[in-house]
Amino acid sequence: MKDSYSVIGTRIAGMDEKDKALGNVVFAEDFTLPGMLHGKVFRATKASARIKGLDVSKARALPGVVCVLTAEDVPNNESVKNVVGQTTEVGLLEAKHQVLVRERVRYWGEAIALIAAESPVIARDALKLIEVEYEDLPAVFDPLEAMKPEAPKIHGNNNVIASWKLRKGDVEKGFAQADAIVENTYRTPRQEHAHIEPESGVAWIDDMGVINVRYAAQVIEHYRDIATVLGVPESRVRVIGTLMGGGFGGKEDVTVEVFLALMAWKTGLPVKLTFTREEMGYGRHKRHPYVLKYKTGATKDGKLVAMEAQIVSDAGAYVYLSPWVLIYSTVHSTGPYLIPNVKVDANSVLTNNIMTSAFRGFGGMQAVAAYEAQMDDLAEKLGMDPIELRAKNFLKKGDITASYQEITSEVWLEKCARAAVDALGPKSKGGKTKKIGRGFACAWQSYGRMTYLHDTSNCWVNLEMDGSAVVRTGIPDLGGGQRESVRAVAAEVLGLNIEEIHVISTDSQVTPLSGTVTATRALYMSGNATKLASENVKRIITEKAAEILGVAAEKLDLKDHRVVVLDDPKRSMPLVEAIKQCHFEGKVPQSLATFRAPFTEPISSDVIKDPVFPDFTFGAQAAELEVDTETGEVKVLKWATAYDIGQAINVNRVEGQMEGGVAQGLGFGLMEDYLEVKGVPWTWNLHDYIIPTSKDVPDIKSIVLESGSGKGPFGAKGIGEPAISAAGPAAANAIKDAIGVRITHLPITAERIFFALREARLKADGSVE
Amino acid sequence: MGARNENGLYELCITVNDREIRGKVRAETSLLDFLRDNNFTEVKRGCDTGDCGACTVVKDGRAILSCITLALQAEGSKIYTVKSLGSWDKMHPLQQAFVDYEALQCGFCTPGMLMSAKALLDANPKPTREEIREAISGNLCRCTGYQKIVDAIEAVARGEYR
Amino acid sequence: MGEFRFFRPTELKELLDFKAREGSRARILDGGSNVLVYINEGSIAGGTLVDVKSLDAIKGIAERDGRLEIGAGELIADVIDSELIKKKAPFLREALQKFANPLVRNMATLAGNIADSSPIGDTIPPLLVLEAEVVTASANGERVIALEEFFTGPGQNVLEEQEVICKVRFPLPAGGKGGHVKLGLRRGTSCSVASVAVWAVADKNTVKDIRIALGGVAPTALRARKSEAAFKGQSLDWDRIEELSQRVMEEISPITDVRASAEYRKKVCPALLAKAVRQALGMEE
Repeated sequence: MKDSYSVIGTRIAGMDEKDKALGNVVFAEDFTLPGMLHGKVFRATKASARIKGLDVSKARALPGVVCVLTAEDVPNNESVKNVVGQTTEVGLLEAKHQVLVRERVRYWGEAIALIAAESPVIARDALKLIEVEYEDLPAVFDPLEAMKPEAPKIHGNNNVIASWKLRKGDVEKGFAQADAIVENTYRTPRQEHAHIEPESGVAWIDDMGVINVRYAAQVIEHYRDIATVLGVPESRVRVIGTLMGGGFGGKEDVTVEVFLALMAWKTGLPVKLTFTREEMGYGRHKRHPYVLKYKTGATKDGKLVAMEAQIVSDAGAYVYLSPWVLIYSTVHSTGPYLIPNVKVDANSVLTNNIMTSAFRGFGGMQAVAAYEAQMDDLAEKLGMDPIELRAKNFLKKGDITASYQEITSEVWLEKCARAAVDALGPKSKGGKTKKIGRGFACAWQSYGRMTYLHDTSNCWVNLEMDGSAVVRTGIPDLGGGQRESVRAVAAEVLGLNIEEIHVISTDSQVTPLSGTVTATRALYMSGNATKLASENVKRIITEKAAEILGVAAEKLDLKDHRVVVLDDPKRSMPLVEAIKQCHFEGKVPQSLATFRAPFTEPISSDVIKDPVFPDFTFGAQAAELEVDTETGEVKVLKWATAYDIGQAINVNRVEGQMEGGVAQGLGFGLMEDYLEVKGVPWTWNLHDYIIPTSKDVPDIKSIVLESGSGKGPFGAKGIGEPAISAAGPAAANAIKDAIGVRITHLPITAERIFFALREARLKADGSVE
Repeated sequence: MGARNENGLYELCITVNDREIRGKVRAETSLLDFLRDNNFTEVKRGCDTGDCGACTVVKDGRAILSCITLALQAEGSKIYTVKSLGSWDKMHPLQQAFVDYEALQCGFCTPGMLMSAKALLDANPKPTREEIREAISGNLCRCTGYQKIVDAIEAVARGEYR
Repeated sequence: MGEFRFFRPTELKELLDFKAREGSRARILDGGSNVLVYINEGSIAGGTLVDVKSLDAIKGIAERDGRLEIGAGELIADVIDSELIKKKAPFLREALQKFANPLVRNMATLAGNIADSSPIGDTIPPLLVLEAEVVTASANGERVIALEEFFTGPGQNVLEEQEVICKVRFPLPAGGKGGHVKLGLRRGTSCSVASVAVWAVADKNTVKDIRIALGGVAPTALRARKSEAAFKGQSLDWDRIEELSQRVMEEISPITDVRASAEYRKKVCPALLAKAVRQALGMEE
């Protein structure tokens, strides 16, 4: 029962936090080994080209350079991943990646060669000595152009590499019933993760011949990818994941690990590789820019009757996770609303731009920019209050979505929306050139991976003789407190303090694999696995204590280092006594448990008519901002964010995730845009790619609601990705409120507002410029 | 500072966290590289262009960006990193506040953020929230949204950790 | 990467003699905030990096002969903290508080920003309307250069190879008030898209004298002489300011870059000017 939790649901000051505040954490780049070499990546400076000639001899000859590797040196340079779930006429069913370019360059920044040298300075000098001769090839940079049959092909013979649809009812009939229809085309930016810690790692071969890669990894299962590329058994590769300085999906796809393993394996020496900030820009995947054409209709009493959308995402030069991101967009495209007639066609298209893949929100986020603008514009057309309109259409528990999935948890959207809007308080005063605007956005975002993936998570809990505990879990921690959550869950079940629980994590050969820290699955999966393992350990203890206390095991609980009788707490025994007894009889209080996410059949056709996700988190954000009508500048004044997260494990952490999501989402909405012009990067460092600073984010009110209806431990839902999706759209709606003009191209910069205002003024008074 | 030796290196001595650290550097070696090469890896590298603030240290009482300061420019200076603030048994109030208020998540920006906060409170013991936001505006954080960082610094300024 | 050397002179004469020998291959560091960026991106390929922190000759903020003088070695943070500047040049102080962020202000100098000669150097427009001068020294002697005549193109100026900026100075403002508007892409540290500084001497909103300086809208920061002439003698209200500000578009030639389009810079410049004028006149926003 909720009120009787001792650890979870409180504000926990985590153990890892202390180490971080002291500066003790050894991040990936902080680690050094004797004799270590320094790696560098030589990258293409063409968006589409064939390599006619590559000469690395001068680089190889530079004193201090130990190896220079090209595609020829890679045992399995081309790797292939099957894209599950596509059945009809799309391009690749297999996503082909190349470790190093063999002949064809498909994006500016693609890796061509690897250098390992005795110092970073020598490695950097060696880069300049590599000579490449390119032959330009035709290129395409606009995904809409790339869809055309005559467009240059990036891979195979079709640039469209994923198509998903929603079909429900009859949209023609639906629109015929509508009293108001809103049609708009939205564009969302290519966003860069911009975590403060660059990708980095060290690889070495240990004294048992195992290739170790210690790096900032969201997915330690990449030891399999490394083994495949090197052509060695998977048992000979070990990935040690470090505490990451942020990830947000940027450390989810392969980054430094394969390069590191190759160099260590070839040289026999330890090698360190760290991406420069520029390299993080042009060498690593981004969030998909989307074009979303939406048409939404409602009757005059505010019931949504039809929704039609064409969605196109720019997949960049390689497929990566684009098909999955598109699934998310398609499933989430309707918004958290019950709509009787739905027709959505979504496509992901290859171009010669930088590849796009995982980023917090994973396709669900782009859709919010469309559907929440549509709802506000509909409310305006109908003359209805925007919360009222939404409230008439929110999904409810038990409803079936347009992708034919049943909602099985509580939907507290109206509570969230009203809480967020109310939390803004009294409206700020504007001025002659400063217009105040308020807006909010509701969103839904799944947590847990797609249910046809048979996702599992393992955890091993061991109770020590003195009542302290060790939890072994493979789960990586990218700063979202994944390790702390696991610690809190174990402490709760075992009746211990968090200081008594040591979590050892993120080692592919030492800790049981827990799966990725992606898809907002960590609490759901590894939290549940930890709970299972802890409960198994608890059962071993209570079964033994039951004999001693003469009470049925189900009537016993672990609280505060004691085994207590639930109905009669005065009857108890010390936990350490029970542990000792267990050991005497060879019943070691430990458990390795596997949590299996519920399985559903794979998506059977391009029309998604199957459940795809375990559950969704629902929430809302509200913003107040000030627009300078002379320059278009925006000043964000107030913010509130309200989510139903089921059950908070650590209230501090939940709020922290929500607030971080506000800032990162606000960036998406107002200022972030990774620009490429004809495939050439323009904003590759933090000087030109701007993210919110402490002066750009206002004070944020976080409202944590707990319905207890989540699938995670203790009824928790995930918050990592849900926290970000509604932020940009809330700002967009606030701008619309301030200036009366709907700007559909994100980020909504001062320049875009400036020209939108001018255009509106010209239309209004019909004057000529 | 010694003369340039035959390897193109200069000898220098910088006081870091009250210890004299001697080394040999190139003319263009950054203070950040010098610190990290001498095991002060608590000072982080985020961008090497002075745009993120992860490398912030306090030099002669001022919070500065060590990645765009030459090591030789810091010769004879007193440098303080986050490790000068406290230890496991005796955390600095700012460090304890950061933990209590969850003013950090991944912790990568934290060493630099704490030094900017320290420099602020040393110069201005009772800053307003706006002044706090201004003081840390050169330290980027991607995880927290800055809310709890401002809360934590304000709590220390308010006397909550005396 | 070329070879770099390091030199820290203790006397001005030492520095000037070195500069006379090395010319542009001797790069003054002052706060040093830009030089390492240039080295890392490969724009500087060798030479001597000169640290002037020990030079007392370029330190000091003082009032002398009706001018405020700021030594080339003074950090922007120190200029902001100076009691003298607080009292006698609050306009400049307020403008400097918008410069980058506190960390950069602890490292950068006015002289460095001027020597960098970027069209978006944020200290420049306010100094231009204060009619600042740069005092330089070389082995050949001293020279005084009006800031308005200092810049010749983006990153280019009239400094000779052996010349070094010693101080920046401007006459004590005799009357009038300033206005300064900076347009950036975010509230935190931001390279200017464009900026406008104004110094106006007015009697009940009738302009007796006005100086206008623009940044980010031309190859160099500049005084907008045509606009100044348009405003001079005018009796101003909100609408008149807006009307007259349109003239500034004739004096500028902005470019499109990663931050903004030329068209935006051109069309928003009048709004920035109007705001700065209103600020200088103390008009409510």
